Amino acid sequence: MVTLTIDGQRIQAEEGTTLLEAARDHNIYIPTLCVNEAVSPYGACRLCLVEVTKKERQRLVASCLYFVEEGLIVRTDSERIALIRGMIIELLLARCPKAGEVQELAKRLGVRESRFRVEDENNLCVLCALCTRVCQEVVGQSAISLVNPGTDREVAIPFYDNSDACIACGSCAYICPTEAIKLEDVGDTRIITMPNCRLEFKLKQCPKCGTYWAPEKQLEYMIKKANISPKVFDLCPDCRE
Amino acid sequence: MPNYTIFVPRLLTKRENFAPGHRACIGCGEALAVRLACKAMGQNIIVVNATGCMEIVASQLPYTSWRVPWIHTLFENTAAVASGIEAGLKVMMRKRRMATQEINVVAMAGDGGTADIGIQALSGAMERGHDFLYLCFDNEAYMNTGIQRSSATPFGASTTTSPAGKVSIGQFSWKKDMPAIAAAHNIPYVATACPSYPFDLIEKVKKGLKVKGPAYVHILSVCPTGWRCATELTIKIGRLAVETGIFPLYEVENGRYKMSLKPDKLRPVNEYMKLQRRFRHLSEKTIKQIGQRVGEEYGKLLEKAA
Repeated sequence: MVTLTIDGQRIQAEEGTTLLEAARDHNIYIPTLCVNEAVSPYGACRLCLVEVTKKERQRLVASCLYFVEEGLIVRTDSERIALIRGMIIELLLARCPKAGEVQELAKRLGVRESRFRVEDENNLCVLCALCTRVCQEVVGQSAISLVNPGTDREVAIPFYDNSDACIACGSCAYICPTEAIKLEDVGDTRIITMPNCRLEFKLKQCPKCGTYWAPEKQLEYMIKKANISPKVFDLCPDCRE
Repeated sequence: MPNYTIFVPRLLTKRENFAPGHRACIGCGEALAVRLACKAMGQNIIVVNATGCMEIVASQLPYTSWRVPWIHTLFENTAAVASGIEAGLKVMMRKRRMATQEINVVAMAGDGGTADIGIQALSGAMERGHDFLYLCFDNEAYMNTGIQRSSATPFGASTTTSPAGKVSIGQFSWKKDMPAIAAAHNIPYVATACPSYPFDLIEKVKKGLKVKGPAYVHILSVCPTGWRCATELTIKIGRLAVETGIFPLYEVENGRYKMSLKPDKLRPVNEYMKLQRRFRHLSEKTIKQIGQRVGEEYGKLLEKAA
């Protein structure tokens, strides 16, 4: 255990936890957009910046990537941080004016409007990379990734063409904080809509009740991965005895 | 609702605020529902728990399953206590006795504590517009005292106080439509959920916490002990209850109805009832009658959601 001070509050934290986790355990609010415990920290959104003082030297760090240290003094609500967070959220608002999560954060941080020009008002992707990290680390398929440098950076399938690796599990759609990726089952197809492409998957129909219950590709993947008989998936879970 | 099957469960928080090791029966759908709801609610909550199964199984002195602030109330005053806590917190923050922060108040009760004994306190709290979330875990009878009928028990179900026999067919009245009563208070959010659809349940609890003002979520919790069904069928029976139209999943946001799951064709109610021994005495004619009524109610709901 190490002892540190966050916002004047002396707290104890397990070694190896990040500043963000330690703060959240003690009910200290730090805004984030790109953090999920299922995947490794990435530091994409920079909203979690905090001021760290060590041996009278002060600097700004991303609290989701910085581990707790003995005797560290942390400030999460100084004027400097408020300015930086305000700027980041204004830039995000200009990038994704319609994203609900961004609007909510802006409201919470007291930012009413952005002074920057909106380029594409229908853009929802904040480039937090949660979807690509989930696909790589949790699903293990790496069907999508971030491509291009700088201002052209975006989430895409290989060569914008077709993603054979995708098993239509929908993890990316579930974890997306701004609903930039959507999953929908329409009739016999599952449609995954991403900012720049649309993937379609055929759903398997249950011969007994007639419902389309799972993507065929996903079932193939499960059969291969768990080495089970394909007969298990003949019927839907509700018709199986 | 999106039909997630693999990998998505791994994205939920691993922290269990409703700890395992409690004394719920094997196959308890209610314990599962509470666990999922706790995953959705996070740390900053105060749970107000009415007398009932979840209070009995999770708080046997000197043990407790609750890793969040928790208070036990009587059957009848759950909503009253919750509104008191909410009002108290508001005043304390206004008078600077404590730091301003977001603390959600969540009331939990069974169907007896909600539809029978606690309904007037609940109605009052909803009418006064307190900012709290009320979760009703509906297992369709007073299960922890020994399966006595409640007003949420479905027609024809055999319980110890509505036993099936020569002169009685079991429960003699139709299930009270509690979500409709909540919706009639014109509160911002009402929803029905079932732990057989875990992501939907989590989503609805989160939504209920987010809205300003009262929110009500009615959760069907399969009870193998009281429903006389096999313990491994909990999830399946929950799914069948939804797919037969007996317990449709929907939400009412500011008076606007929206179906969460709209199957193309309803399954026959028989598929749901034949798995439970509380319905085994029913004749085919009665089951047909129940099926007809379920169809009618479902049609009415679809009309509201249209």
